[in-house]
Amino acid sequence: MVVKVSNLVKRYKEKIALDHFNMELEEGEILGLLGPNGCGKTTVINCILSLLNFDEGEIEIFGEKMTPNSYDIKRQIGIVPQEVAVFENLTVKENIDYFCGLYVEDRSLRKQYVEEAIDFVGLGDYRKFCPRKLSGGLRRRLNIACGIAHRPKLIFLDEPTVAVDAQSRNFILDGIKRLNEEGSSIIYTTHYLEEAETLCKRIIIMDNGKNLVSGSNEELKAMISTSEKIVVKFLEPGTIGDKMKEIPHVVDIERNGEDYIIKFENGFNNMANLLEFIKDNNLTYTKFYSQIPSLNDVFLQLTGKGLRD
Amino acid sequence: MKRLARNLFYQGKNLLGEKALIFWGIIYPLIMALFFHTAFSGIMNIELESIAIGIDKDNPVRYILEEIEIIDVHVLKDVEAKEKLEDEDIGGYIDGDLKLLVKKSGINQTVIKEILDQIKQMEKLGLPMERFDFSANYIEDKNQRADTIIIIFYSLIAMVSTYGLFSGIETVSLMQANLSNVGKRLNATPLKKKDFLLAGIIVSLSINMLSNAILLIFIKHFLKLKLFTGLLYSGILIILGNLFGVGLGILIGASSKRNANAKTILGIFITLVLSFLSGMMSTDIKIMLDKRLPLVGKVNPISIITNNLYKINLLGNTKNAIGGMTILGIYCLMLIFLSYGFLRGKTYDSI
Repeated sequence: MVVKVSNLVKRYKEKIALDHFNMELEEGEILGLLGPNGCGKTTVINCILSLLNFDEGEIEIFGEKMTPNSYDIKRQIGIVPQEVAVFENLTVKENIDYFCGLYVEDRSLRKQYVEEAIDFVGLGDYRKFCPRKLSGGLRRRLNIACGIAHRPKLIFLDEPTVAVDAQSRNFILDGIKRLNEEGSSIIYTTHYLEEAETLCKRIIIMDNGKNLVSGSNEELKAMISTSEKIVVKFLEPGTIGDKMKEIPHVVDIERNGEDYIIKFENGFNNMANLLEFIKDNNLTYTKFYSQIPSLNDVFLQLTGKGLRD
Repeated sequence: MKRLARNLFYQGKNLLGEKALIFWGIIYPLIMALFFHTAFSGIMNIELESIAIGIDKDNPVRYILEEIEIIDVHVLKDVEAKEKLEDEDIGGYIDGDLKLLVKKSGINQTVIKEILDQIKQMEKLGLPMERFDFSANYIEDKNQRADTIIIIFYSLIAMVSTYGLFSGIETVSLMQANLSNVGKRLNATPLKKKDFLLAGIIVSLSINMLSNAILLIFIKHFLKLKLFTGLLYSGILIILGNLFGVGLGILIGASSKRNANAKTILGIFITLVLSFLSGMMSTDIKIMLDKRLPLVGKVNPISIITNNLYKINLLGNTKNAIGGMTILGIYCLMLIFLSYGFLRGKTYDSI
């Protein structure tokens, strides 16, 4: 077990930020902490890193209790904070060298690591630039390079793609996959469900400081009653909605303008059943497509609200 | 040692890139010096004049005073002396008990009092008066312009010597997870805070002393003012002022969660008030405080530096310098210990 968090409670006066939160990270895993802004993702990371006091609970990293003086554990950790955390008056190369030097004392090895980190985040053309001269996306890349140059076994990435353009975002996500392939275990926080779906082997959905559910992408989607949604638009809408409830496995029907959103519970042949219904009723459709459930649907069912509400 | 060297290099480079710090540390003092010089240049061109003192003909110190070059002794009776004091024909009157009577406070009265104190002390110690060369001590450099405006420059130098507080604030801000993003990252690394703090103190002191040197060179070579004759004591006082400033900055930085700008403004406010009380804006304030609340001048660090720079370089008097340095040293230790108390905590209630 790389990280184990048991019954973590963190209070800010009357407000409970973390409510008996539990979490485990296996070696070689990318664990996603998914939840809306303010749900406690960053607080979990700050507590694990011993930056924040907490009221109850236990935190172990690499099987040892984590404290502010756990320098041996800290040597194996890399952190990429949510906000860009670099020295504004040092160049790209100097920043990476400074932070890498806090872990790696051997000068020649450090030099090699710094160059590799610069290549890894694609900042080769900017090594002599100060951070304030870089675009938002490039600053984020530098933020990542400063956190991973020393090749940590465990990496915390706290919403590294917030406010980043699509190109930099893809670059960052590819880089995270590569880090994981090279052996790093990763805790990744995000409120972008697409990122969690594509990147993480296991996901914890959080809300109000609680661990609502955890599992793989597929396991989470299997937990909800709606397995499929089919969107149809008819030329002759009329009162067809009520009749569609007779189709096998239909649990609910919603109207969105002229579109019908037909929700099915777990079952097979939903599209075929719906097409047969259309044929039997001599209906003409102008739109017809199926949506598989997303993590947002999982979150919606668990909390009654969307991830981006 | 390697770690310290790396921290010194990178922290130094980062601090030198802070434009606000360069402005307040280097440009602002030069502007102030130029402003004072321009505003008071007419007054500063007045050459040293002799000081008229009234004294009874039987007073035992009369012969000593007559030997001092800058003193113009007027033999007077009590009644006559009071009239001349009232008309400001004499700066002061020394009675039979060696008490100094003055109508107003000023630089001349300060010089008379210094001389009188010296005479009394030598009498107590039973030392022969001939052994003390009053002329040499009070007019060591005939080119020295002894006027009240010089105090303003000493006060400016004293104030600027404490401007290490800006880099002190910045250093603490960078190392605290609840004050900066870099602090958050640093606290998650194996870096030990004391390494970063020590490097920050050394860098802050070095940068501020460099800026002090620039100011002194500017005053000497551009404004053509010769302010220093006692370099050793003056240098030690200025270095202690630097250490005090850095310590104050670290304490201000560590003691609250306000942002660095708010803390910088607080630092400027504190140093301006202390400088005001030490006579930077008006020497009348200093003279009034020395007369009514002498303790303020004795505990105000900028007054300690100002007064001692003045006494050392203008009056050639170093007897109070060690006391002043000791008080400044105690302040520095107190600031460092208090700051350590704030910085010792390694986890935070909120970030």
